[in-house]
Amino acid sequence: MQVLRLEKKRLLHFLDVVKKGFEIIAPVKSDLVRFSKIYHAEEIYLEKQSYFPVKEYFFRKEETLFQFRGTSITVPAYAAKKRMFFGLRRCDLNAIKNQDIVFIGDMGDPYYKAARENSYLLGYHCNTAPSPYCFCGSLDLVDFFDLMFFDKEDHFLVEVGSERGKSLAEKYREFFTDSQRLITQNEKRIPGVHRLENKDISGFYDHQDWKKGADICLSCGACTTLCPTCYCFEIHDEVKTADPCKGERRREWSSCQLQEFTRVAGDHIFRKEREDRFKHRIYHQLQYFKEKYGVQMCVGCGRCIEGCPTRIDFVRILNEMKNGKTENNG
Amino acid sequence: MSKNKKLKVGVYGITGCAGCQLSIIFNEEEILDLLSLIDLKAFPFIKELNTDEEFDYVILEGLVANKLDLEILRKLRKNSKMLISLGACACTGCVPAYRHFTLKENYEHLLYKRQEELQDIEPSPHDEHVKVDYYIPGCPPDKKEILRFIKGSVRGVLPRPHQNPVCIECRRNGNACLLDEGKPCLGPITTGGCNAVCINGGLECWGCRGPTKDMNLELMIKILRDRGFDDRFIQDRMRTFAGLKLPMLERVMQGSKSKVLQTRFDGEKKFYE
Amino acid sequence: MAKQKTTVENPYLPKPYKILEFYRETSDSFTVKADMEIDHDPGQFVQVGLLGIGECPISICSDSREYIQLNIREVGNVTIALSKLEQGDTVFIRGPYGKGYPMRYLKGNSLLIIGGGCGVAPLKGIIDYAENHRRDYKDLTLLLGYRSPDDILFQRELLEWKNRYNLQVTVDQNTHGKFCYGAKEGFVTDALESMDISNNNQIAFVCGPPVMMKFVIRSLKDKGFNDDQIFLSTERLMYCALGVCCHCMIKGKFTCVDGPVFRYDEIKDLENE
Ligand SMILES: Cc1cc2nc3c(=O)[nH]c(=O)nc-3n(C[C@H](O)[C@H](O)[C@H](O)COP(=O)(O)OP(=O)(O)OC[C@H]3O[C@@H](n4cnc5c(N)ncnc54)[C@H](O)[C@@H]3O)c2cc1C
Ligand code: SF4
Ligand code: SF4
Ligand code: FES
Repeated sequence: MQVLRLEKKRLLHFLDVVKKGFEIIAPVKSDLVRFSKIYHAEEIYLEKQSYFPVKEYFFRKEETLFQFRGTSITVPAYAAKKRMFFGLRRCDLNAIKNQDIVFIGDMGDPYYKAARENSYLLGYHCNTAPSPYCFCGSLDLVDFFDLMFFDKEDHFLVEVGSERGKSLAEKYREFFTDSQRLITQNEKRIPGVHRLENKDISGFYDHQDWKKGADICLSCGACTTLCPTCYCFEIHDEVKTADPCKGERRREWSSCQLQEFTRVAGDHIFRKEREDRFKHRIYHQLQYFKEKYGVQMCVGCGRCIEGCPTRIDFVRILNEMKNGKTENNG
Repeated sequence: MSKNKKLKVGVYGITGCAGCQLSIIFNEEEILDLLSLIDLKAFPFIKELNTDEEFDYVILEGLVANKLDLEILRKLRKNSKMLISLGACACTGCVPAYRHFTLKENYEHLLYKRQEELQDIEPSPHDEHVKVDYYIPGCPPDKKEILRFIKGSVRGVLPRPHQNPVCIECRRNGNACLLDEGKPCLGPITTGGCNAVCINGGLECWGCRGPTKDMNLELMIKILRDRGFDDRFIQDRMRTFAGLKLPMLERVMQGSKSKVLQTRFDGEKKFYE
Repeated sequence: MAKQKTTVENPYLPKPYKILEFYRETSDSFTVKADMEIDHDPGQFVQVGLLGIGECPISICSDSREYIQLNIREVGNVTIALSKLEQGDTVFIRGPYGKGYPMRYLKGNSLLIIGGGCGVAPLKGIIDYAENHRRDYKDLTLLLGYRSPDDILFQRELLEWKNRYNLQVTVDQNTHGKFCYGAKEGFVTDALESMDISNNNQIAFVCGPPVMMKFVIRSLKDKGFNDDQIFLSTERLMYCALGVCCHCMIKGKFTCVDGPVFRYDEIKDLENE
């Protein structure tokens, strides 16, 4: 793939120029790091990975599926502005790819598609692991980006990853020079992010150590909310007070860590035990998704561990299962 | 329910601060539409003419603190197909029920002098005395939830009660977790539905909507202890709003002392710098 | 907001259909016939709903290209709202979804149909299908169990079934000794046990409450049935029916896409989930 060079001191200028044609969404640090629309290129914060994932821009927290009035249904037209996402890590990008598989690949979700269209994905390669919980190196992540920025002291090497990226680079060609070299596989390796020793967990279903995680789980759902790949949702109707025949059907995020997730009429709960719910999440991330779509869903970003109030480290638990180490836990 | 007949509704209050009834009225923009959906037979708080007859449902604020309250509660229950408990006092016992956990000499002198007439009863939520069909918890309750209930009732629907913890909405709103800052947030064991208003505003959750069915109380206690809160504080904080709905608290606190749960807390410093 | 014409491709959009017939089966269940003209397999389901109330999955219990029949039990918001409909009203349906019974591959076999309570509904689809393709299948044995004579479904069809097939109805308790198609008192499982039936060229279809299914499978195994001769129908909470919302997952399988009908050997290991 083509590789360009951008002097670091020109980055801000580059983004400010791009901003005229695009809405730029990039990590910004307020109390925590989150992706938000930026007004000045200086706001961008690249030291750490974002605490909140970028998924809410595509798979929104709440989505109106349609509005109704009596028996007529209308779908709100939604067209995303031309958006450029900057500062996406390798894990973020793969997470987007995995959600694409779910929403675009199989069933053609029109809402996700509309939000995803017109977005340009510009990555920022991690030279070191930005969080102690990262383990992306243990998973089979792929190159998925329009442009990827490799941080090289005083300049960026910018790898072009798609036709879209290519045309973008063409458009702003004045900022780039030819790099005269390619990015080596070695440069793409991030050191210290291979914590998960065994990603085939099929033999562990009945292992007693799942309890280690479940015991210190509050079932607060932080993990699924902060996960960039989790995509479960539920659907509810809401009507207007002035006229209960008018209203809308909405979908919103949901979490498999809650009993509500499987509660049916008659108050039966299929995954009632905390342990089953915890296990289900990990199995969906590392196994079930792969069975269905051929890749693991988890991208190893570690957000679910970092955001957990008790820091349940499922990677450590899995490693301990593999190594047969059963720490006595009470 | 036949298609055109409006539901007969009553809104009443027994011992309480009337704030919950106010929450209904705070739906300013929609209150007129709301009133046109139902046949409001009684709402003594804002209405002059009230008839108490056969109600389809009664929304009742406040808790039972004296004999009169109990009489009213029983009568309304008898006259109504459904009874809806509105607010924390009605659902859990809330602050008044704290009397159960303190010594009599601490409050005796505060009781009304005409006590005989009032005939004091240990403060208790509705469901200690009668069957309750639906709960709208919170101190104050979420006005949108009341709206949703009434709108639903008109179409014969009872909205699925919230059972998820506050954290769900809190995280969705993009808040930083206050537990990570060392604050004693009760979000993880508290029923959501409030859109995490307190945390949105920087204040930790005090649990006003009552404990969730699925709470991990033992772990919550451990988390608070780790953050340096003593047992007295934890008990007080949890009982302030949960009232009589945490009968197991003392037992769990005792039991969990001996149990080792390995959690990680990176000190009062915000972990994520 | 700009309005977009509703497109066919949007998988979340239901379409309006007319109710051709509304028939009350028992005190808490009814059968509706809607003018939905679709190609489907027995055992598949549709998402039925009303705007402003919600949707729920219901199995198709007929076998026709001109209409679909749905047997619905009133248990919650959507189903109760549906029960208030009348002939000529509109319902919103999308579907059909899921994998039904692979009848085409089972030609030449005898069919043993075992249902409990409202689990009989999806099985009626097979009975109708077999009737429409009578020459493809050998004997039909129906074993249907209900709680009491008042709960017996499809009473309109039962007499016909009794004449054509080997029908046995059981009721857990026959308190008022009512006529019920030769119903025996007792559980389906007992009736199955005492039945003289071989696994030779016989396929069993089971649907009912989880406990009942468990015991029926056990006694089928005792009678020599192989795992791949038994088909089950499963139930989970569903929202999308498209294999995305993940609520219906049983381990790695999606009930809405990979099921609801499973051959026993496919889900044997998933039982405990
Ligand atoms: C594949 C399949 C086929 C079914 N076929 C039939 C049938 O032929 N006849 C029949 O009477 N019932 C059938 N059911 C069960 C029926 O879907 C539930 O009884 C119904 O969803 C209850 O919805 P409600 O709104 O009345 O209840 P509420 O408790 O008010 O439920 C609210 C919401 O929860 C969901 N929900 C609750 N219970 C269930 C459940 N058991 N399964 C799925 N979602 C649920 C629905 O999304 C519903 O909108 C079937 C279920 C499945 C999964
Ligand atoms: S499961 Fe955890 S580590 Fe994996 S992608 Fe989700 S948040 Fe990241
Ligand atoms: S701040 Fe409180 S409510 Fe919010 S996530 Fe943390 S514990 Fe839960
Ligand atoms: S119902 Fe949504 S995945 Fe099956």
